[in-house]
Amino acid sequence: MAAIHYKQRIKSLQSLIALLLLCIVLTILTDKFFTADNGLNVLRQTAVNICIATGMTLVVLTAGIDLSVGSVLALCGAIAAGLLKNGIALQATDTYIGFTILGVILVAIIVGAVLGWFNGFVITKFNVPPFVATLAMLTIARGFTMLYTKGQPISNLGAKFAFIGAGSFLGIPVPVWIALAVVLIAAFITRQTRLGRYIYAIGGNETAARFSGINISAVKMIVYALAGAMAAIGGIIVTSRLDSAQPNAGSSYELDAIAAVVIGGTSLSGGRGTIWGTVMGAIIIGVLNNGLVLLNVSPFWQQVVKGAVILLAVIIDKLDKKD
Amino acid sequence: MPMKKILKYGLLVVIVALLGYNSVYIKKLSDVNASKGAQFNAAGFAAQLWNEKLPAKSDSAVAISVLKGAIDDDAGAAFDKYTNALAIGNYRYALVKGIAVIDAITADDLKITIQSAAPFKATVAMEFIYGNALRDASGLVNLQEFPNTSDLNSISEELNKIVRQKIIPAARPMLKPGAKIEFTGAVELNKEHIHFDDVEIIPISIKPVS
Repeated sequence: MAAIHYKQRIKSLQSLIALLLLCIVLTILTDKFFTADNGLNVLRQTAVNICIATGMTLVVLTAGIDLSVGSVLALCGAIAAGLLKNGIALQATDTYIGFTILGVILVAIIVGAVLGWFNGFVITKFNVPPFVATLAMLTIARGFTMLYTKGQPISNLGAKFAFIGAGSFLGIPVPVWIALAVVLIAAFITRQTRLGRYIYAIGGNETAARFSGINISAVKMIVYALAGAMAAIGGIIVTSRLDSAQPNAGSSYELDAIAAVVIGGTSLSGGRGTIWGTVMGAIIIGVLNNGLVLLNVSPFWQQVVKGAVILLAVIIDKLDKKD
Repeated sequence: MPMKKILKYGLLVVIVALLGYNSVYIKKLSDVNASKGAQFNAAGFAAQLWNEKLPAKSDSAVAISVLKGAIDDDAGAAFDKYTNALAIGNYRYALVKGIAVIDAITADDLKITIQSAAPFKATVAMEFIYGNALRDASGLVNLQEFPNTSDLNSISEELNKIVRQKIIPAARPMLKPGAKIEFTGAVELNKEHIHFDDVEIIPISIKPVS
């Protein structure tokens, strides 16, 4: 009994152990790795993936997947940038509706949530597989981004907006604070609310959850809306950091998010995993990227290594299930 | 309606109203347009640069085959001699010229083969004109003269707009696969990862030659 308990304890800490081992190896291999500046740099770069991956975790816990987060990120970032820079001009009434930074953040999050909700709506009401529905949204949102930006970057968003992505508060980069807030909210939802229990129940056994009286459609729509909103937050950070909304921003970000979720120990078949595991997964990917750059490893090899790590995480997950 | 619900919805309305009040502001459009006049005129700056300063620079652009050869021989010296950059980092920019044969015309670019002792492939961007290649390759913009990066970025935006709106539409009808062209443009090169084959050229001029 004690041995089983010990094994479960190790399993729950496997992401953290992997991260620590990775840090030790990189510290030995390069003296540039274990510095405060580099640590903050890794966290700043990881913050966007943490935001997206946190939303993705909620989706994956319901046994779903959201491939549209990268495109939703781009669209929301573009809308935020466009409204902040150009507002809405009503020529007929000689009226200009301007947006404050708070305003564009709210609009972006609402747009992200609506797009996510639409994903959930299509998946639940028309019984479309999440892979297909969100793949369609990936293309739709990217198309709208191109239409909205006319294929051009929207730049020069001002120093105040740039503070969101490039500023620091109490010595910690602002994106890290934002990611922390997102993680705390998601952790609260999964651990302390009825919605969180429903999410795990649906992922564990959807049929049983339905017979228990859980409104599957409503829960899934909320979950996808949350994932969209979190992608939008990622979009605001990216846009702010670059001082520019790029129409091709966020391409393949969904893959990094899924990787963080898987490496963090969340089961792709749903019902099992934690937000903190995903945070660890995202940091492992961030540290891996950073370490490989510091070691002057070719970007092409970096992709191979990242892919191998994801594969390893999935295999470990499968072996865990067999146990 | 029970008191608790009234309080709950009341609070919600107050929060939404507060957020809304702090999120948008309304002004007269004419006032906004008037105030924009005082800002940095990136379009004017870019037009002046394009019309008055860039032609001379383009005339002295390095032949792309010479640049490639120089980089093959001694990359460090070639980058120092032929390229510019405003920012630190591995990316360097060069104004290049050359004669090439059009291999194919796609919606996004021209696939060309540069004519030289050792011909090589390159691409001329025709649709997505991004980045700072034109601004930085020209070497005509001094970082110290600008109080913020926004103004600097807007110069690139305007230069790219000139290429998109004037240079490419004027050149496109004259281009045919198999035709020989004379071009001047800007290229971006990464000092650490030099991939000269299929390098992308942002065009400044493209002319068919017989």
